[in-house]
Amino acid sequence: MAMSINANNNEAEGVWEFKLVGEVDISNAHYFKTQLETALAEKKQNIRIDLSELNYIDSTGLGVVIGCYGQIKKEGLSVKLVDPKPNVKKLLTISGFDKVLL
Amino acid sequence: MSDIMKMTVPGKAEYVRAVRMTASALASDAGFDIEEIDDIKVAISEACTNIVLHGAEDGSIHYDVAFELDDEKLVICVEDQGPGYDLEEYVEPVPGQIEESGGLGIFIIRALMDEVDIRSEVGMGTFICMKKYRHGTDA
Repeated sequence: MAMSINANNNEAEGVWEFKLVGEVDISNAHYFKTQLETALAEKKQNIRIDLSELNYIDSTGLGVVIGCYGQIKKEGLSVKLVDPKPNVKKLLTISGFDKVLL
Repeated sequence: MSDIMKMTVPGKAEYVRAVRMTASALASDAGFDIEEIDDIKVAISEACTNIVLHGAEDGSIHYDVAFELDDEKLVICVEDQGPGYDLEEYVEPVPGQIEESGGLGIFIIRALMDEVDIRSEVGMGTFICMKKYRHGTDA
């Protein structure tokens, strides 16, 4: 797998902190999705994902994020992406996801 | 005069990265800049992902990828004999109003590459051909 993901429950801020490292594509997007779902099953709260070491993401990875956003938005919660590299930010801008996720 | 390289790829998720890395190496050696290489990597991955997602569930199909490089451009064509789809039913997502990833792959390919030709027919497979011109040689 060319991707690793770290999860941390920041209880002080009431937010799940994730850090994606490497590449997210069709081969591992399901693993990323499972990690988000597992965290939300444990505790429903805002999500913040650090992208500073994410080198690549495609539509399947973006789909996981936007799917999660759509799910928790109904409950007044948010998903925020932090510090994307230029290539990742370009995809977020093209898709319009930057407006709700950055 | 152009150089042509062809690959036959199993329609499985784990091979998409290998195609992406091949495209990246070719584009890098050909002198494309970092942003162009990133565009090419994403576009070819989206084309392959489209096949894997809509192909046989057990990944038993194979698809063909052809890279053609000349002085002006890199042309990448991806072709499968999968189930295909009706292009007239494709609804392009609207940026900022996207709530799911459906149709996003094709949208991204068109946004990142200079020219894109997509042909698909139900039962006949899908053909996606995309071109990236070297900087300063836009058509």
